[in-house]
Amino acid sequence: MKRTIPLAIVLTMGITMMVQFFVPHPVSVGYYDLTTRWIRIVGAFALVLGTGSFIMFHSDKVRRRRQGWYYSIISLVALVVTTVIGLGWGIRPGSILQNVIYANFLVPLNASMFAILAFYMASAAYRAFRARTKEAALLLIAAFIVMLGMVPIGASIWGKLPELAEWVLSVPNMAAKRAIIFGVALGGIATSLKVILGIERGWLGGGKQ
Amino acid sequence: MHVSTDILTWVAVVLTVGIFSFLWKDNPFYKFCEHLFVGISLGYFISLTWYNAVYPDLFRPLFVQPLSEVSLGNKLLFIIPLLLGLCYFCRFIPRVSWLVRFPMAFVLGWGAGVTIPAVLQTSIIRQMQGTFLTPGIFARWDVFLWAIISFVGVVCSVLYFFFSREHKGALKVASETGIVFLMVGFGASFGYTVMARMSLLIGRFQFLLRDWLGLIQ
Amino acid sequence: MKFFDALQRIDRRIIYIVMGLLVIFPLVKPLGLGVSSGPRARTLFDAVDSIPAGRTLLISVDFDPSSMPELYPMLAALMRHAFARDVKVLLCGLWVTGAGLADKAVTEIPPEYGKKYGDDVVYLGWKAGIDAVILGMGENIKNVFPTDYYGHPLDSLRMMNEVVRLRDIPMAVAISAGTPGYTDWLNFAQSRYGLRLGAGVTAVSAADAYPYLQTGQLTGLLAGMKGGAEYEVLVQKKDYSRAYMPAVAAMDSQSLAHVVIMLLVIVGNIAYFATRKRGA
Repeated sequence: MKRTIPLAIVLTMGITMMVQFFVPHPVSVGYYDLTTRWIRIVGAFALVLGTGSFIMFHSDKVRRRRQGWYYSIISLVALVVTTVIGLGWGIRPGSILQNVIYANFLVPLNASMFAILAFYMASAAYRAFRARTKEAALLLIAAFIVMLGMVPIGASIWGKLPELAEWVLSVPNMAAKRAIIFGVALGGIATSLKVILGIERGWLGGGKQ
Repeated sequence: MHVSTDILTWVAVVLTVGIFSFLWKDNPFYKFCEHLFVGISLGYFISLTWYNAVYPDLFRPLFVQPLSEVSLGNKLLFIIPLLLGLCYFCRFIPRVSWLVRFPMAFVLGWGAGVTIPAVLQTSIIRQMQGTFLTPGIFARWDVFLWAIISFVGVVCSVLYFFFSREHKGALKVASETGIVFLMVGFGASFGYTVMARMSLLIGRFQFLLRDWLGLIQ
Repeated sequence: MKFFDALQRIDRRIIYIVMGLLVIFPLVKPLGLGVSSGPRARTLFDAVDSIPAGRTLLISVDFDPSSMPELYPMLAALMRHAFARDVKVLLCGLWVTGAGLADKAVTEIPPEYGKKYGDDVVYLGWKAGIDAVILGMGENIKNVFPTDYYGHPLDSLRMMNEVVRLRDIPMAVAISAGTPGYTDWLNFAQSRYGLRLGAGVTAVSAADAYPYLQTGQLTGLLAGMKGGAEYEVLVQKKDYSRAYMPAVAAMDSQSLAHVVIMLLVIVGNIAYFATRKRGA
């Protein structure tokens, strides 16, 4: 029961949702509409998994005084304070959540976290990007054409550079990316079918239950 | 130069510097900012999930709206997703943790079912249509030439990923041609990645120079 | 040869400082390189320009602050373009941490054109369940979003009386930083409901969008901050806006940063091959 019923649910939902795509009958549309509403509600509850794991991980770290446990207190306090402010004062325009926490804490932290990648890219470009083979040289040339052609200085150096960059993107790049799309799509469809048919059962978790 | 006097702008600046300090080396200031970010993000997520999803989609119709607005039958229909959603909490109760499989099965089955026809149409059928050589390509010499190159590129790149046969003879030629296209594709992606990363850095500098220091208008 | 050895061992922090200074310099003292618009941005601009006044443009805000410098200028320019032409704007989002950015745009931009919330612009907010959200909007937007982001029932917003489902929307633009993003709109909104879709993407994922442009699934593309700058220029050229253009202002820095990266690759390779030759 613990494994069979979930597998039966997956099979039923998978097959019916595939079939309803091709059947525009009112019953099919009604079923589709109802399950679509349900899935949004169930999907929102999935947050419980993430939040629970987060609290368990950090509280365990604090309890056992593991290395850097005091940073976990910061995470837990930030979580509680943000949640209390968010749920207590709401998300309307001018709210503390939006005007203070989001605009002046979340935005700079998140944006800066990704901004520092530019420096690592510069360092990696200097140390690791070597034209050791013909293929690497080709990659390098294509990268240079796009890098220059897609910014204003490219047109100042040679007027045709933006057109060349656009050609690289529209013809050889497009062909390569389309081949990758085929691979990814076929892989995705195969995995979905394996899940529906119960061949892929990793999501059930380990153990004999 | 007009340095901002807004305390919140200064907070944002301090946090920005805290994250940037990692460039020098890992340090407590950075770690503080990092952990603060994780906690705030999750708190924000919870608040929005309540106000944008759980309250309007479930709590309000089930518990707040009167029967004159939502019929009893419709209210009962909300019980099923509520029970499925509550099963997620069982993940943390060892004796009944297996119940978490029910909502997961529902979500996975539904997702797999709707994804297959959609992906088939968007990423297989339409992409194959775009690859075929049609009469329209004969309109101009350059259109014709680029269409032929694209067609060869797609076929050869796909063949490069065909590992069921040893790459010998014609297949070797095709897969080697495929590598050329793939390398140009990866190069284009790399060029664009440089652009992306630099843009993010510029964005942060614009904040520091404009909003904080008032050096640029 | 000692010179090349020294080049190989240069401290990463020196590279960081050079990089940082060269990015900052053009922000303070612009080089005046100018920005011209490419064909992909023009296609999107023309498509938005052809939406009849009074109809609705849907913008999906599928990004968060991590890609704000690249994508927020696109969102602002698109909204200004729409409002200048009396096109209504409906916003929604698939990224929870992007909700605040859409809220910022809805609060700041409509007043520039005297547009009123509920009549000319509505922000639906964020919902869990990506594909379920898009598919649900195809059938009935009110079923997915009974209330907007701020908690107003959709029935109380006049604009929403004319927009019931995705088929009532002549065009949508997905501004995406990854997944979920424009591919989900293609998969579920276009394949099932025939929604005409344009895209604004981070530069990282721009090269991946070209197969969808070639098939016509995407109507125009804005790639990264440069894409945002191109759209800002197009909007200003037609005198639709005189607002500050953050992406255009960043383009000199962007150009210089690219040159620096290329020089770093070239110098790194010269030093590598010079020392390798000696070793061989």
